[in-house]
Amino acid sequence: MDDRYQYLLLMAGCLLITLPLEFGLRARVYRRPRRLLLSLLPVLALFLVWDVVGIARGHWSYSAQYTTGVRFPLDVPLEEVVFFVVIPICGLLTYEAVGTVLGWWRGWRGRDA
Amino acid sequence: MPEYTALAILSVLGTVAAEILWLRTGIFRTAQYWIAMAIVYFFHVLVDGWLTKLSAPVVIYDEGRITGVRVPWDIPVEDYLFGFSMVTLTVLLWVRLGDRDDRTPTSEETS
Repeated sequence: MDDRYQYLLLMAGCLLITLPLEFGLRARVYRRPRRLLLSLLPVLALFLVWDVVGIARGHWSYSAQYTTGVRFPLDVPLEEVVFFVVIPICGLLTYEAVGTVLGWWRGWRGRDA
Repeated sequence: MPEYTALAILSVLGTVAAEILWLRTGIFRTAQYWIAMAIVYFFHVLVDGWLTKLSAPVVIYDEGRITGVRVPWDIPVEDYLFGFSMVTLTVLLWVRLGDRDDRTPTSEETS
């Protein structure tokens, strides 16, 4: 297994692990694509700016061994763009899934939501 | 104050300000949000722990730009602020967009 895909594989793993939330726990995040896109894009834009600043100012750098080396303009690694999409998606899936479970729990307890 | 630390703190202030002054979704008052964030943080520790482990880091921090406090393992504390802002902002937007679009509950939305 090529080490350079480690970061990307980790991101793929995050998506895989949270996939059951979409259907099993009825998160319905992927199935509301417009709302998902509108939530992701501003955050992606903001954090890309932060990342560009961070990289330019030398706050952080990326392992040549564990990243692909593919860079977008302004030196932003592919992996970071993927990160800024994947983690918020996982956050939303978690948020919605918790909502589903809370709804079930409140239903069992006979409390009106 | 180190630069990353300052930006991380600013991002949290900005996110909280966005909620209080602009988006006003009320999520900070819900169990749903805090439970979700607790779960997210559990996985944050695992994922970021892997990315920042000093033995074989995927992401490398300039020690001069961070406080140097790393916990647990080698996760810079600043990363928690970064993660809070990123996920919270996304949830805020998602909820705000839902308030606008899903005003009429369908059979799916009512619990």
